[in-house]
Amino acid sequence: MSFTEYLSERWPTIVRMMAEHAEVVLIAVAIAAVAGIGLGMAVEGRPRAKGLALGVTGTMLTVPSLALFGLLIPLFGLGLTPTITALALYAVFPILRNTITGLESVPSAVEEAARGMGMGRLSRTLRIRLPLAWPVVLTGVRVATIMTVAIAAIAAAVAGPGLGELIFGGLARIGGANALNDTLAGTLGVAVLALLLDVLFVVLSRLTTSRGLR
Amino acid sequence: MTVTAVPERTRPSEEAAGRSLAGLLVTPVFLIIVSAALYLYVRGLDLDAIERRSVNQTVIVDQFIRHIKLVAVSTALVLAIAIPLGVLLTRPGLRRLSAPFLALANVGQAVPSIGVLVLLAVTVGIGFQKAVIALILVSALPVLRNTMVGLRSVDRSLIDAGRGIGLSKTAVLFRVELPLAVPVILASVRVAVILNVGSATLAAFTNAGGLGDLINTGISLNRTPILLTGSVLTAVLAMAADWLIGIVEYVLRPRGI
Repeated sequence: MSFTEYLSERWPTIVRMMAEHAEVVLIAVAIAAVAGIGLGMAVEGRPRAKGLALGVTGTMLTVPSLALFGLLIPLFGLGLTPTITALALYAVFPILRNTITGLESVPSAVEEAARGMGMGRLSRTLRIRLPLAWPVVLTGVRVATIMTVAIAAIAAAVAGPGLGELIFGGLARIGGANALNDTLAGTLGVAVLALLLDVLFVVLSRLTTSRGLR
Repeated sequence: MTVTAVPERTRPSEEAAGRSLAGLLVTPVFLIIVSAALYLYVRGLDLDAIERRSVNQTVIVDQFIRHIKLVAVSTALVLAIAIPLGVLLTRPGLRRLSAPFLALANVGQAVPSIGVLVLLAVTVGIGFQKAVIALILVSALPVLRNTMVGLRSVDRSLIDAGRGIGLSKTAVLFRVELPLAVPVILASVRVAVILNVGSATLAAFTNAGGLGDLINTGISLNRTPILLTGSVLTAVLAMAADWLIGIVEYVLRPRGI
């Protein structure tokens, strides 16, 4: 069966797996975004806490994904929970880093003005600095998403959902009729999904950036 | 097209650049504690026959060495290919080609390494050599991009100044551009090593061995001791590699920068 024939026959399955893949990634990134932005707001302006937070989450990224999945299995078993946990752990660093960079790059004059208007630290962060830092923060979220899309392909090794099933299926049926088609569909599917999500974030960034910054 | 809009730093390893000296001292202590904890945990267990087949000194040392071989061979080859290619592509004559290569590198980031490994296994075959080819395919583009971006970020006026004092183009490359790009090239080495340590874990799926073998055995036989031994050792190896490169970067970085 040629690849085009394969695609025209299997596309509903492939699209379903792609949707599952996107779902897992987006849930993980959402968790990581809440954690990363919150942590970023808490540690920015405090060099020690900042260094520690960036150091720990950054080191996290050097751990190979299969090993991280492996470490999480004794805690969470197989399936969805270790998958989402691992992906969220990887996704925190880019979001945290960009949140800190974004918040710290807000001109101090702007902050002085807000302080002069009588705003406290929290409301300055939430109402002035975070909206100004938003494009940078969102870039962090986007980087995290694209990175996690590729890593999520390995989740099938721990019985997680998504396009990785096609890749590992192809591996299991090596020499079989559709081994190459399965693998190719899985691999290209991941790349296509990453590009689609990238476009989604460009749109999202336009829609959610404060009008004065565009 | 949004492809070029994919931000520069997407791969894990590129993120972790630049640590303080204090950070460099904490890591080995942490890694030793973790390894010792793993050793004590495994020693304290009453392993059954299946677990003993994987969790024993011969197997662990063999797979550890195999893992390091995979990483060393593929990293050496990637650096030998990608750095000279990056230098070539930033020369005036070939500079037109650099934009497509950068775009390709950006798209390439979206391709999962497990996909490349399995594609190669399905089409070419399984085993150590094929895994090395796959690892090279996975890490070549990030290293190439890193080198190109680094060389292009060298200040034009410094190159002009070099030309102005009568240096040839080649002399400018070796005496101005490359020394200034050393931090970037070292970052490329880091990218290559970290990516390869991670992908080498996955190479176990295509019969190339390595520590991933222990993890896979642990998962498929549902044996936590095997799983933890493989996972912890892989993580320790990756962090140790990252740490070592950190030291090398600290030592080799030109004083002026």
